[in-house]
Amino acid sequence: MAPMARKEAWSWLNVWSIGTVLIAAAVAMPIMAVIFIGLTPSDEIWSHLAATVLPLYISTTLLLMVGVGAGTFVIGVGTAWLVSTCWFPGRRVFEWALLLPMAMPAYVIAYVYTDILEYAGPVQGLLRDMFGWTLKREYWFPEIRSLSGAISMMTLVLYPYVYLLSRAAFLEQSVCVLEASRMLGRGPWRSFFSVALPLARPAIVIGLSLVLMETLNDFGTVDFFAVSTFTLGIYDVWLNMNNVAGAAQLAGLLLFFVIFLVLIERFARHNQRFHHTTSKIRALPGYELQGWARRGAVIGCALPVVFGFALPAFVLGGYAVIHFEAATNPDVYRYAANSVLLSGLTAVLALAIGIFMAYGVRLRNEWMVKVLARFASLGYAVPGSVLAVGVLVSLGALDNGIDAFMRQTFGITTGLLFSGTIAAVTFGYLVRFLALSFGSVEASLAKITPNMDGAARSLGHGPFSTLRRIHIPLIRGSALTAAILVFVDCMKELPMTVILRPFNFHTLATYVHQFASDEQLGEASLAALAIVGFGILPVIVLSFAIIRTRPGDTEKGHTS
Amino acid sequence: MKGLHAVGVYHVYGDNKVLDNASLMIPAGEVVCLLGPSGSGKTTLLRLAAGLERLQRGRIVIDDEIVADKNTHVPPEHRGIGLMFQDYALFPHLNIIDNVTFGLFDQSKDKANHRAMDMLEQLGMTKHAESHPHMLSGGQQQRVALARALAPKPKVLLLDEPFSGLDTNLRGQIREDTLSVLKASGVATIMVTHDPEEAMFMADRIKILGDNGKILQAGRPHEIYYHPRHEFVAKLFGMMNRFEGVVEDGSVEIPLGLIRADSLGEGRKVEVLVRPEGVILEIDGKAGTPVDVVSTHLLGHDNLVRVRLKNDTAGEFQGKELYVRVHHTFEPELSKQITAGLDPEYAFVFPLDEHGSIAGDGFTGSQSQAAE
Repeated sequence: MAPMARKEAWSWLNVWSIGTVLIAAAVAMPIMAVIFIGLTPSDEIWSHLAATVLPLYISTTLLLMVGVGAGTFVIGVGTAWLVSTCWFPGRRVFEWALLLPMAMPAYVIAYVYTDILEYAGPVQGLLRDMFGWTLKREYWFPEIRSLSGAISMMTLVLYPYVYLLSRAAFLEQSVCVLEASRMLGRGPWRSFFSVALPLARPAIVIGLSLVLMETLNDFGTVDFFAVSTFTLGIYDVWLNMNNVAGAAQLAGLLLFFVIFLVLIERFARHNQRFHHTTSKIRALPGYELQGWARRGAVIGCALPVVFGFALPAFVLGGYAVIHFEAATNPDVYRYAANSVLLSGLTAVLALAIGIFMAYGVRLRNEWMVKVLARFASLGYAVPGSVLAVGVLVSLGALDNGIDAFMRQTFGITTGLLFSGTIAAVTFGYLVRFLALSFGSVEASLAKITPNMDGAARSLGHGPFSTLRRIHIPLIRGSALTAAILVFVDCMKELPMTVILRPFNFHTLATYVHQFASDEQLGEASLAALAIVGFGILPVIVLSFAIIRTRPGDTEKGHTS
Repeated sequence: MKGLHAVGVYHVYGDNKVLDNASLMIPAGEVVCLLGPSGSGKTTLLRLAAGLERLQRGRIVIDDEIVADKNTHVPPEHRGIGLMFQDYALFPHLNIIDNVTFGLFDQSKDKANHRAMDMLEQLGMTKHAESHPHMLSGGQQQRVALARALAPKPKVLLLDEPFSGLDTNLRGQIREDTLSVLKASGVATIMVTHDPEEAMFMADRIKILGDNGKILQAGRPHEIYYHPRHEFVAKLFGMMNRFEGVVEDGSVEIPLGLIRADSLGEGRKVEVLVRPEGVILEIDGKAGTPVDVVSTHLLGHDNLVRVRLKNDTAGEFQGKELYVRVHHTFEPELSKQITAGLDPEYAFVFPLDEHGSIAGDGFTGSQSQAAE
């Protein structure tokens, strides 16, 4: 038995801590590069920015976050509760349909709604015809290219994050605690607010923080709507003023927002360590809705789907039919293949690394592993534009370093190994989306009581075997969710891909972006639909998967 | 020696000293109960023995092999320990037979299944082999958890509050079944509980834990009940009648009678604890002190009678109420004159310091117990 024993002094040295250190170091590299450049003294741009546009960036960004946060919370949690606990017509359809807007990138929906709602668009044209107005000042119509427009666009496509995570949380809740609450004299509404919602809070907070990070990241929409957020400022300083240091300094400030968000998430989660207190888990109650409540539920679930997905998809479909000749060519197929390859690769890697780290944290309850894992998952919060600079700079430095070393030692010139390759793009994606898989996996691991680990270990299974035979089967639903989220996000990813892609390499997203910003939405409509389509397929698979992985509901025996 | 031996175990969580120099020894074939209030560190001791918690100081030896000390930490999967959790921790995604064979991965599938069915048979659970855990009742889950823990033939079995999740009706039967399976397997067993009755039923030996994992007393159930060496131990088994007095001529006098207290110094202030069954009520009796009956409660086999010492009783005890456990045939309300006497077997004397609280110097010390 002696060889099994481990020297206590070296106990920190093991595959989990070393692995986490390596991952954290790799993921931290681009962020560190940005911070390093940001702190390097440069010209007067910083004070100039602070005196002019900075207050505007800050207030606009905050307003955008508050608006999108509130909107996605109400829509996401409300619809999740309705479809997971109530019975009304179309519930089974809404269960998955509510996920559809997730397949819509915010920039695509922004292009489409601008097309519909601008002065020359069909809606205002129709109104003018109906009421005989001729001039813009004769009537009031909401300006789509505005802050509230941007809030609406982002809310419509981002609420599924909250919906997805809170629905999973509601489904994992035992009916027993809800029944206990009702037995204690609380009606369905109060049970929702006093039991179901607090129990689902970790999941909701994670969903909201993901939404807000996504909001900070958005470039396509705010650029198109000319809403002066931080991210837009960074692009402006970087690309238009050609000042990397200024952009990095802005990015450093933006990191404070991000750190704040991350702290909120951590704090909320810290106070909520739930394990199932009962092993009796049955299907959720299924309140039979009547009258106005029934109609309200149907309308409430239908609106997000219609405006977030059906209508824009319909418009895009119309364009695709009109512009079919222009929109189909071999290039588009190649770009589609590129997108799928990159996204699939990233999803698999992100899931594997996420499980590794989350399990490492669970296993080695040590501050170093925890802190590093937290750090490695900061990338998601960092806007893609900033990461792109960081990846470019750090991979460039790495390439130069390797090249210099190889030349000195072996007399070989390696040139640029990573910069401008698919590996660089994948690396950028991983840095950004690792938090997504890590967060989901960690949240669902937290729901498995540590006694499961103890039982498996005392029955002779090592950490890896326990992970494979206990944890992975138990978190299958959430892990699949995580992989799907990463995949869809990669398909839609724009700001990093534009900058990191190899020369002449296009994904569907960069192709759509290029044409749509030239107001050639028609030509790009098919590619945009393809992005949306790729997003939908996994979303459907996902929806069935969460129903199947209901704990306590092993086979098809759905009781309600 | 076969079994488990923990020496000088010390464990802190943050500022909370859970175990301070705790030691215990569990020989093979014995069922030892750790009985103590929550916070006495008994569960921590189990987790340390299992290797789920890293040992901070001390030594843990299983079958003569050091599994944890300053330099060693054998991970739980290599300790050969069976562990049964309070919540059973059955794997929800595996059916019963897969749960039980989970620890038998180094055997052929046939052999593992055979062994698992054998265990399930012993516990009367064969017909549930294909069920999933959530389909079973609490008692059935408990049986499966026990079968699962015993299937790999562990060197030591640890049970953490194994019956606390079960309702009282079930408990008796399951306790009995559990005990017979444990005895049949001959495994060294440590069971943690806060229920004294359960410990009395199950244990070959009981170890009573006080704060910080200090063992207040260890011994056979009989010894713990009839010869408690600590006031805390005496009070574990329910309500006590408490008197104070002073040792004179090697005895203490209380209204019920005289109690020998040779070992305690002359003139020492002491506390006398008398179990309810140690008070003998007699109708028209001569010995003891006269009492009035306040109330009686039929508990089944026993009657719990509350009596009050008459007002003419000497000194500070007049009007004191006592709890008395008598056979149910005793019907005090019919009689006129009742006296209360003493069965010294159920009366225990403990020294008090001058302030009237329990003296710190012990009848027991963790050191003396460690050597036991």
